[in-house]
Amino acid sequence: MRNYEIMFIVNPNATEEEIDKINGQIESIVTTGGGKVEKLEKMGKRRLAYEVDKHREGFYVLFVISANGDIVKECERRLRVMDAIIKYITVRTDEEIRRLDKMRNFRQKRAARRGSGASAAPTQSAEEAMQ
Amino acid sequence: MKSVKEKRPAGQKQYYRRKKVCKFCVERIDTINYKDVKLLSQFVPERAKIMPRRISGVCSHHQRLLNDAIKKARNIALLPFATE
Repeated sequence: MRNYEIMFIVNPNATEEEIDKINGQIESIVTTGGGKVEKLEKMGKRRLAYEVDKHREGFYVLFVISANGDIVKECERRLRVMDAIIKYITVRTDEEIRRLDKMRNFRQKRAARRGSGASAAPTQSAEEAMQ
Repeated sequence: MKSVKEKRPAGQKQYYRRKKVCKFCVERIDTINYKDVKLLSQFVPERAKIMPRRISGVCSHHQRLLNDAIKKARNIALLPFATE
């Protein structure tokens, strides 16, 4: 299982129900394929940075899922077919998450080592001063 | 600063350039997310080009992350490819 983020832009003229329907479809694809939807976020309507299919605005939706490649493939196929979807992007995040964990562990370890080193150093210098 | 001035041969322009530091290293930012438009837009000036390292002072590691993030953001219309 891998972690992915699927972000897509829905036509700004679509109603709330239509957006919910699309979300439901994507969710069912993920769950029936054995994946899990970890987060579903409607980021709301915002201006596009450039014109896409004559649209200047779009409704952004973000899915955070853990799934395998086949599910993602199916989701992308469905998004491509749907008329209301202007654009979509899928980003794999599990490697990034793993890297972050590693970094955090490393930082903690180093901080711990430094903390003990700092307390040891002054005593040593004090001893030298005594001599 | 004084020592820098003294080192320069006579006749050369004397000015002091501050050493640039990587914003991400200073603030301990490990990951650069493509959804963070506010952060990314600091590194895309007017023409929507990616700011070069020699100007922004970002280290090579973070510049690479930044590059990826900006390109992802462009793909989903969060950032422009070029200003019209």
